[in-house]
This record gives sequence, structure tokens and C-alpha cells, in this order.
Amino acid sequence: MKKYIIAILTLSLPLIASAQKPSHQNNKRILYMGATAHIGNGETIANSAIGIENGKFKLIANATLIRIDRSAYDTVIDISGKHVYPGLIALNTSIGLNEIEAVRATNDYNETGNLNPSVRSVIAYNTDSKVTPTVRSNGILYAQVVPQGGLISGQSSVVSLDGWNYEDAVYKADGAIHLNWPSMRIYKAWWAEPEEKQVQHTGESIQRIHHLFADAKAYASQSGQPEKNLHLESMRGLFNGTKKLFVHCDYIKEIIAAVAFCKENGIKMVLVGGTDAWMATELLKANDVPVVLMGTHNLPSRDDEDVDMPYKLPFLLKQGGIKFAIAAGGFWQVRNLPFQAGTGAGYGLTKEEILTATTLTAAEILDIDKTTGTLQEGKDASMLISSGDIFDMKSNSIEKAILNGREIDLDNVQNQLYNKFMDKYGFDRP
Amino acid sequence: MGFTLKFNIIAVQPTISMKINAIILGIFVSLIPIVSVSQTTFPVNGIPDKRSSVYVFTNATLHSDYQTVVENAMLIIKNGKVEYAGAAIEIPKNAIVRNLAGQHIYPSFIDPYTEYGMPESGPKGDKNKGPQITSKTRGAYSWNEALKPEFEAHTVFDINSEKANEFRKAGFGTVLSLRRDGIARGTATMVMLGEGPVHEQVITERAAACYSFDKGSSQQEYPTSEMGAIALLRQSFLDADWYQAGGNKAETNFSLEAWNKNKSLPQLFETNDKLQALRASKTGSEFKVNYIIKGSGDEYQRAADLKAAGNKFILPLKFPASLNVSDPYDAINVSLEELKHWEMAPANPSLLYKEGIEFAFTSYGLKEVSEFLPQLRKAVLYGLPKDIALKACTYTPASYFGVATTTAALKKGYAANFIITNGDIFKSSVIITENWVAGKPYIIKNTQVADIRGIYKINAGKLAGNILTITGGQPYDLKGTLKEDTNSTKVSVSYSENILQLRFELRTAANKGVWSLSGYATAKGFKGTGLNNESASIAWDATRTGADTTTIPVDTAKIETPEWGQLTYPNKAYGFKQFPVAETVLFKNVTIWTNETEGIITHGDVLISEGKIQQVGKNLAARNAKIVDGTGKHLTAGIIDEHSHIAVSNNVNECSHAVTSEVRIGDLLDCDDINIYRQLSGGVTMAQLLHGSCNPIGGQSAIIKLRWGQSPENLKMKGAPGFIKFALGENVKQSNWGDDFRIRYPQTRMGVEQVYIDAFTRAKEYEASLKSYQPKAGTIPPRIDLRLETLVEIMNKKRNITCHSYQQGEITMLMRVADSLGFKINTFTHILEGYKVADKMKAHGVGASSFSDWWGYKYEVIEAIPYNGAILHQSGVTVAYNSDDAEMARRLNQEAAKAVKYGNVSEEEALKFVTLNPAKLLHIDDKVGSIKVGKDADVVLWNDHPLSVYAKVLATYIDGICYYSVERDAQLQKEIAAERARIIKKMTDEVAKGGGEVKQPSFRINKLHHCMDDEAH
Repeated sequence: MKKYIIAILTLSLPLIASAQKPSHQNNKRILYMGATAHIGNGETIANSAIGIENGKFKLIANATLIRIDRSAYDTVIDISGKHVYPGLIALNTSIGLNEIEAVRATNDYNETGNLNPSVRSVIAYNTDSKVTPTVRSNGILYAQVVPQGGLISGQSSVVSLDGWNYEDAVYKADGAIHLNWPSMRIYKAWWAEPEEKQVQHTGESIQRIHHLFADAKAYASQSGQPEKNLHLESMRGLFNGTKKLFVHCDYIKEIIAAVAFCKENGIKMVLVGGTDAWMATELLKANDVPVVLMGTHNLPSRDDEDVDMPYKLPFLLKQGGIKFAIAAGGFWQVRNLPFQAGTGAGYGLTKEEILTATTLTAAEILDIDKTTGTLQEGKDASMLISSGDIFDMKSNSIEKAILNGREIDLDNVQNQLYNKFMDKYGFDRP
Repeated sequence: MGFTLKFNIIAVQPTISMKINAIILGIFVSLIPIVSVSQTTFPVNGIPDKRSSVYVFTNATLHSDYQTVVENAMLIIKNGKVEYAGAAIEIPKNAIVRNLAGQHIYPSFIDPYTEYGMPESGPKGDKNKGPQITSKTRGAYSWNEALKPEFEAHTVFDINSEKANEFRKAGFGTVLSLRRDGIARGTATMVMLGEGPVHEQVITERAAACYSFDKGSSQQEYPTSEMGAIALLRQSFLDADWYQAGGNKAETNFSLEAWNKNKSLPQLFETNDKLQALRASKTGSEFKVNYIIKGSGDEYQRAADLKAAGNKFILPLKFPASLNVSDPYDAINVSLEELKHWEMAPANPSLLYKEGIEFAFTSYGLKEVSEFLPQLRKAVLYGLPKDIALKACTYTPASYFGVATTTAALKKGYAANFIITNGDIFKSSVIITENWVAGKPYIIKNTQVADIRGIYKINAGKLAGNILTITGGQPYDLKGTLKEDTNSTKVSVSYSENILQLRFELRTAANKGVWSLSGYATAKGFKGTGLNNESASIAWDATRTGADTTTIPVDTAKIETPEWGQLTYPNKAYGFKQFPVAETVLFKNVTIWTNETEGIITHGDVLISEGKIQQVGKNLAARNAKIVDGTGKHLTAGIIDEHSHIAVSNNVNECSHAVTSEVRIGDLLDCDDINIYRQLSGGVTMAQLLHGSCNPIGGQSAIIKLRWGQSPENLKMKGAPGFIKFALGENVKQSNWGDDFRIRYPQTRMGVEQVYIDAFTRAKEYEASLKSYQPKAGTIPPRIDLRLETLVEIMNKKRNITCHSYQQGEITMLMRVADSLGFKINTFTHILEGYKVADKMKAHGVGASSFSDWWGYKYEVIEAIPYNGAILHQSGVTVAYNSDDAEMARRLNQEAAKAVKYGNVSEEEALKFVTLNPAKLLHIDDKVGSIKVGKDADVVLWNDHPLSVYAKVLATYIDGICYYSVERDAQLQKEIAAERARIIKKMTDEVAKGGGEVKQPSFRINKLHHCMDDEAH
């Protein structure tokens, strides 16, 4: 009887402890052999050898061509038949800032006021969110945590999606400031203000932005210590190249205005959204502005547009020679990032190109490509092992994920509920 | 401006022969003045000024009605009535005679849709104070503030001189006045546009009963939607019948009394677009009412359907303004739909005429009434015959409201309501000079002036002996030139009340500057004083030296007959020029996902024709079939979205009451929604369009096929069973609506159960009372209640429930409520915690229509899991995946694939989640949902494995008709680009020419509906 009780307790333990425990650094040297490695830069290695030591990739090689020294590793794991990818990087998310959309107490992504360049998302990032494990179990290992709302929403940071606390999770802090470019089209919609009001408000908003950046630029160029202003202080990095300005807009006029604005101010710009970016490829290319596309699972923005426009958009940018990443906004929705990208491969991109758009290019845009974004020697050992193509929902099956050298727990609250009720009904888990 | 009519008073002694003629004609007798004193009830301050002069208008071109023209005609009027109209006859004694040679007389226009003389509607109250459940109207009137049939326009009508003047200037003599407030708006009154007293202007007190779908100033919650307005109208018809049949013994209700009293009047319905017109027509015809519909101007887009509906129309002549599309970045925000409508709207009347639809015109909607005539001419330019245009301004509106035998024509005994023009009214240069209302003249342009056109020698200070030429098309429309050496200078000339005014600006050095001269006529010419270029006072004179010989150049600029692009169905991007027809197609060597026991057939053939699947097998052959090579491709049944809100106009939620089973989504179908086409491109062939989720018992669903281009009624699947939306959880409790919404019952899960029990208890009692009623004298018949009728249908298993649900407790509760009442819940939709009660659901026999992987958006989905579908499926529950979202719907195949990822459902079964299983849930699986001989040919051809993220739809067939194919789509994109470019150029040219109204383009965002929208309003 006692045994029976203990057995039940043991069985149900993982169900009660629903939060996933962050993993410890593994100092063992591990070699993974035989998988198809998708490097992230467009290349693949059919029979790969991937060596990890001290949390970094020590070896990325073609085992068919090179003799691999297995003795240099504590463990050698054969993963032939599997696919290995770099961990996916999710741009422009509110992961950790939002737990339940409709419950105000769980919403920490939108500070009051219009100009908030000083607010920092990273300190609000909730490492204990129940949502995050459901996202990383689909292959997303890093996320840009972005504040929203107003004209200037604040500063974003990049986090690893596994950590005890935000200081532990942060991968690059405060690297970008987010500007929502004022709408430059007159809307006719059930929610829209009268047309003259819209024109007036846009004008005023653009003036406010110009004014703020002029002040910030002057502030940043002053020698000595000026009278401290948190807004202007936080914007210093924009003018010395240590911070990027992520400009969120979609309409072609807004894109043109934003590019000119950043050029004028000598600011590194990233365009987020960019529904109309296909009309502006020359401009974006000439000014070296990368684009963060907010997925492909969107409707065309105009009735007359090609019904497939959102699916084709990544391909059109590629044709235009634009550097682009594919993102999936929101928080719980980010788990569909591979499929948002995958859809683009049905419309002109190759599968390796969509991988680049969710790894290497994302890393470059976030200035973390020195340490992650590809399977390359010397970079942080972050990778996914899947039994099938991760970009297709019918084959996406992440069996193991390694984040900065640590194998992370792929369980999540939904999986636990699945087990709990499969058990209730006496069904076998497939 | 002062004015004198130059009448020639003639007193002719008639000769014998003239007398005889007149007697034969029977005219003379009637012209003998009958001495009768007209009486009034109202005292007059001062000396009464009643005149009974006889006016005779000679030599005019008389349009005695819209189709009869008499040249050199005579019109005789007296006491406000026409005495004679026709060929010239003897002029009666003591008549005031006007020679109208060269001028035209038309019956004055009748505007059948105005707010003339109505008081301003009261201000809308403060809407931020939470819901108003009951009416605040005092007295025994309707329960609903939007029903005001008791209102009678004639009781508040008063003359508005300023407005009357505007109408008269535009050619109107009579208007219908109504108050545009409410769904039932009460009666309208027919009035003339004369000046006082008001007692003499009202022609017909109660001329029409007016309706709309807009609740107007009502602050009451119900109805929040157009389908609620339709339901309210339908219930009102029934209530009024009940009231008449004895209900008035049970209650006193002045609104129902008025409704019944108004039944005998012409019924007039205001609509905002062609689809509303179809809805109004359908609503009326159910109760044998054929509304006169006040249209919106886009009726040409569904002319055949409107013709079939059989209503008469009142059409506005407001045509869309040009848009400033010279900036291509602005132009891209303008849709082809807007461009096409801009181009075609002026042809609306001519196209409806060709369709055989009867219509009258209204100035309603024009910024200024004065635009009416120019717009009328534009309609004629766009192909409307002139007589029909006149008819629509005169006879037709009169005939609608029973005054065609007293006005709208110039015949003996008719009201002397007419206008005088200086030519054919359809010529752009022609103006209305006079408007006579009930025999009283209102002068718009004084044409009775002396002709001073000629050549004059002018002396004015430094100017000596210069030649002034006064010329112009009419004596009252003058211009001049002044010769100064070899220079010719324009002179502005006006001659009024015998005062001549000249003004000109000279350029030669000595005389440079503005000169202005005023003077009076002398025997030789003119004489007067003025100011020279140095503002010094000078005397001047001008001596006539000869007649003006200037020939006025005839405007020879050819007026181009407008052309427009082809009408498409719908009239926007991706519309059909011709309705497509069912094809005979043989798909060869294709992978067939049959959804039947045959499973997945590789290298198979499928033959479709006459809208059905004819053969499924291998090595099929068929004569006359279009062969589609399916090598490497996949053929599946069409995707069926069990939970959709596309193709619905305006609003999918009637949020006012906890129970709104009387409202019907099927009343609001929007066949023009571009999302129909977009979803065809994702392989969707059918959808259940559900009411929203803001009340425990919502409205009735519509089950449609995505027949792009067809009318709303043709979207509906014939023979599909009835469904209704129920809802549980946060939305019905208004949990996320803010603090103003804490009143409507229920606010908790506890209350939700009580709502159901109460609703069905009342429905049971209702059904019993209907069954037990024995009609006999003195008993009050039961009142038909549309809300309860629907609930009775549910209890009698004639209507199925699709219930929005998340949390397991509520799910069980509703099954138990249904069990206790002896019916079943058909489908739980969303059902994100279904996996917790899969066994109970299986036992109840209810199906599940879920999201693949949604969660995180509200508290009640905190335990939603993407394995839900797999567990329910494994438990033996029929599982579908739906979209509830216009975007997701077009890749439901990808959502189905997630059932493979989360829970390892087999690929074959996963595809059924979006094809056969929703068909089963909708009880239409005998017709659709699989590739089986005899079923509807609703099939989709894919370029790849249909569950793959890389798969793309190549063609979508419904009933064997190809509604989407990649080839046609590519062709259409080219045509759309060309058509856009053509119209944008035309519009840019038009804007450059100037004249018309020009607006900045705006970016239209149409509302996309989700059932979790917390739509209060």
C-alpha cells in the first residue's frame, strides 16, 4: 500500500511542479555525430560532426570529409538521421511582458505616455512565465523583448529563453530603442478620428519626434555632464552607434519618411513591419536598412493586392537585395515562428533562406551575430535537434535543445496537462 | 435685387369667330370668373391680399408632362390651378399675359425624400453611462425607443423660408418631408414649397410611413446590430397583427395602434447600400409589404437582383467626389472598388432604367440642393433618356405618394406648380428663371429687362470717343469690351432697375487702373458719373451708334459620351465579368484524399461535372472533359470553416440582451467581402457564419458556400440545417467590458445557467400556450414571439446549437441543462478545455470545433492546450479545427497539420478536421466533406501534400465551378493593374480640369470580426 502511494506521488510530482527548472551549465565536452546540420548561413552539412566545449561550438565539420577525433570528447552522441539547426531568434516579441492579454495585471508591455525612450523592458521580463516554455519547445531559444505603445515605446533587450532571473536570462541589454512612426495615411474606419484631426495629429507627432531627436543629439554631443535628462540620456547610444533605432511602420510613405529621418540624424535604423517594403527596396538597399517582417500569416493590406502578398513578401525583399528577418509578434504566438517563416518557403524562398531569416539575419540585426545565429565554431553552443523539418508543422519535433551549451528542459505546462489527461483516460502517449 | 414684371394688360373684344371657337373648345365657360370667397380659419393682420388674377403664358415650349411637349403653347393659370395647357387659344379677358417665346415651361420637380420643415432631431444622449435596458419614452408607447410609428410629420411641419428658397431655386415645387429618426419613423407629409401660410402648403398629411435599419436617437441598447433591427421590424409586424386581432384587449399600445393605422400608406424604407436594399426588400416581402426604397446610388452593382426583388426606388444624385490620386503613394490606398464606383455611379440611373427598375430622384445627400440639376444632367449624359429623367423628378415621385393626378403635370385642374427656363433644361447653359408654386411666382432670375446690347461711343474724362460694345447671349446676361487704341479690354456690365454699371481695368500708361461708371438711359444712350483710374469723380456718357453684331460663338466643344469599365461581380478587384459555370473536369494521376474508406489514392482520377463528383478511380476517361494533369499534385475535399465571421455586414453581435435567438446572421450577408476570394485561394469552400459570443443565447447562423460574385441569398447552402450560436464564459459575463457594464444579467457563471433555464422554461410555456389555444370570440390570441419560436425549434430538434465555450465546468453545465430539457448540444466551439471532459462530451454526443493552438488571450484559456484536438479525437468525439479569423481561415490546412504535431493524429484524420468533420458537425456530410461519387464537386487542387506548410492551392471548385485558380488569379492581377491605371489617369485628368469636388484619398479599413470581440457597440 505504502509503495503504491509512493508510486503515485512520484508519478504526479512533475505534474505539480509545472514550472520548468533552468538547466545548469554542462562542462562536459560533447560530440554530436551524423546529423544534417543546417548552419544558418545557407550552408548544410549532410553528415556533420558538432563538438561542444565550455558552452561553445568547438567543432562544426563534415564528418564525411574530415576525420573526427572522438577522444577529445567526454561523450559522443550519434544523431544520424536528425536535423540540427541553430536556435531560432524571435524578434519583436512581448514574451515575458505579457501573460494573459485580457488580464491587466499581467500586462507589462505598454508604459503610459508617448515618449518613453528611457524605459527598459528587460527588468520587466518574467523568467517564470508559463508561456515561455511552450515557445522554446518549438525551437525558439532567444527573444527580443520589446515594449509597445506611444511614439517611443522604450528600449528592448535580447534574452535567452531559459534563466533563473532576468539578469541571468539577458543576452544583450538595451540594444535598441523602438519608435512607432506616426501614421501617414488617412484612415476611414469605424475607429478613426475625423480626417482633418488625423492629419493634424500626425503632423504634431512627427514634430515631437524631430524635436526630441534634435535635443537628444545636442545632449549627446555636449562635452561634460549636462543637466541630467533620463529621456535624452537613454538616447545617447543612438548617436554613437551603440544602439539601433527600430522604427515600426508599414505604409510606404512612413517608410520613406523614417529612412530619411534616420539618415538625417545619423542613426542606424531597422524597419519593423514593412508591409509596403517591397515598394521601397531600392531606398532600403541604398540606406542599408534591414527589415523585420512581422510574419507571413497576415492578410494583404489592400483589397486589390495579390492575395498571396504576405506570403511572397520575404521573397520580394530577397529579390530586391534587402536584408530581412522573419518574426512572429506577440508572446504565446511566437511558438509559430517556424511556420510563419515556413510559409515563405512555399512562395519562392529556399528552406535555408528561411532559416537564415530566423537565425543569422536576426542575430545581425540584434548585433549578437558574433556569438550566436549560426552553427559556427567559437559561437555559443545553441542548437536544436529535430527528427524532421522544423519549419513544417507536420514534421516539427524538437527532441533536444541546447542553449549556450546547456541542454534545456523542453517540457511545458501544456505538455503536463496533456500527460495528466491522457493518464485520466488511460490513453497511451504516442 | 428689385424686380418688375412687365405684363401687358390686354382687353380684347373677341370677334364672333373667336367666340365660337372658344365655345366649341369649352374653354370660355370655365374662364368666366366664379365669384366665390375662399375661406380660411386664420385671421390676417392688416388687409387680406388674396388675388385671383388670370395669368397667360404664350409662345412657350410647354412640357405638359414628362413626355408631352407642345411648341408655341399656351398655359393659363388661375387661383393656383392650371386652367388650360396646350396649343394657343383665345386669350381670356383681363388676363395678365407673358410672352415666353424661346422659353420652356416644365412641371416643377417633386423631391420625395427631404427633411424640409422638420424640427432638428434632439441631441443624442451621453452614451458613457452604461447600458440603457428599457425605454425612457413617456406613455403607453413601444417598449423600444427606436420604434416611433406614432410620429406624424405633418403635426410638426412648418415653413422654412430659407430652405424653401433653396429648393425652389433648384426647380422643386413639392417635397415629401419626414423625420429620419428611428427604425419605425412614423409618417411623412407631402407639402408645397410656397411661402405662408403653412395651412396652404400641406397637400397630404399622412403621405407615407417611413422605416430604416438605424435606431437613430434611441439610447436603448436593443438593437445593437442591423440584424437586431431586422428582427425588431419582423417582431413589430407580428405584434401589430396580434394587437389588431385582440391584443389590444390585453394592453394599450399607441405605437402598435399607429403601426396598424400606417399600414394603408405607401411604405418607405431608407437604405445605405445595395445590400441593405435587398435586405429591406426581403424583410418587407415576408409581410407582403413592397417598400419604396430610398437607395444609395450603388444599386447598379446588383441591378438584376433588385429588379427581381420588385421594389420601387428613390435614388440620390450624389455621385462620388474625385480623389486626388496624383501621388502614386496616395493612389495605392484607393481600391479598385472605389475607383470603379467613382467612374460608374453617374450611370446608376441609366443602368437601372435599362434593367427596368422604376425610380424617382431626390436631392437628399447633396451638399447643396442647387447641385441637383447639374447632377441630373450628368445622369442624362451617362445615358439616361431625358423623358425618364423628367419622369423621375415629376410623375414618378408624385405617383409614389398618390398625388400624380393633382400635380407633376400641367393639365387642367392640376396645381399650378411649374418652372420656366430659358431653354432645354438639360443644356448646361440653361437656367431656371422662375418657379411658380400654387400659382405664385418666385423669380430666380429677372429676364424681363430692356435689351441694351449694342455699340456705343463713350466719353469719360480722359477717355474720349472709345468704342464700347455691349453684348451677351441674353438681354439679362451681358458683357462688354472697350477699345482703347488697339487694345481691347474686358468690361463687366450689369443692367438692373434701369441702372447701368460698367467696370474695367485699363493697362495703357495714362489710363492704367480700375474705372467704374454708373448711369441711366437717355434717348441717345447712357449718361452718368463714375470714378476714373485715379479715383477722381468724372461725368460720362455713351452714345449708341449701332446694333451689336457680335456673333456669340456656339459652344462646339463636343461633349464626349462617357465610357466606363466593365461591371464585375462583385464590382471590385477579382470580381467576375461573367458568372462562371460548372465545368466537366477530369483530374488525372493525382493523389486523392478521399476521406472515405478508400483512404488516400495515389495516381488516381476524379471526374466532376454538373456540379457533382461523378467518378473516382483510376484510368478514367470522359468525353468533353477538361483534363487537369494531377501529377505530383493532391486533390482534397473543400475546406469547411465551422466557425467564421467573414462576409457579414457591419456587426456579428447583437449584444443587447442575454437572449437574442430572433436575430439571424443570414440577414446580413455581405457577398462583396474580399475575404471570400482570399479564402478561396486557401481552399475554403464553405463556412458557418456565426453570431458573436456576447450573450448566452446569440443569433442564428448562416451556412454558406463561398460562391464569389453571387448575391447574398445565393451564398447560402440550400437545404442546410438551422444552427444557432450559444456562448459561455467571459464574453457573456461581459468580464472584459469595463466598469460601465455591470448591469446586464448575467454577470457570473451562476447567472448564465439561470438564463438558459429561464429561457427554455418560457419557451416551453409558450409552445404549450400556442398548442392549447382555441380561437373563439372574446379570447386574445397568443402573440407570436420570434425569440421563443427559435427556442422551441431547438427543443424540437429543428435547430442545432454551436456553443462558444472554454472552461470545463460551464461545458458540463450546458450539457446538463440540455439533458434536463430533452435536447442535445450539437457542437462546442473553441472548447479549449474540452479535453478535460472528453468522456462527458462523448457520452452527450456533442462535437468539438476547436482552435489548434490558441491560448494566452484571456484568463479562461489559461489551461488551453494544443493537444486538445488529439485527446478529443482519441476519445471518439468528432473534432474540427476552425478559424474564427479571416486570416487563419485561408491556411486551415496548416492548422490541421498541427494535430499531427501535437498529439500525433494521423495525416488522413488530421485533414478531416477541416473537411469531413466540420461537414459532420453541420450535418451536411451527405453532400460535402469528402471525395465521393454523388457529392457536391467542392474540391481543391494542391501543388503539394495538403498538410505541408509549403503547399499552395492551385484551384478551388464549388459545385463544379472554378471560383479560384492560380492562372485566373495571375490574369486578374494584370487586369486589375491596367484597370486601376486607366481610371487613375481619368481621375487625375478630371481633377486637373477642375470644377468638381476633390477629396484626399483615405485608407479604408473594414472590420474583421472575431467572436471574442468584446463588441458593445
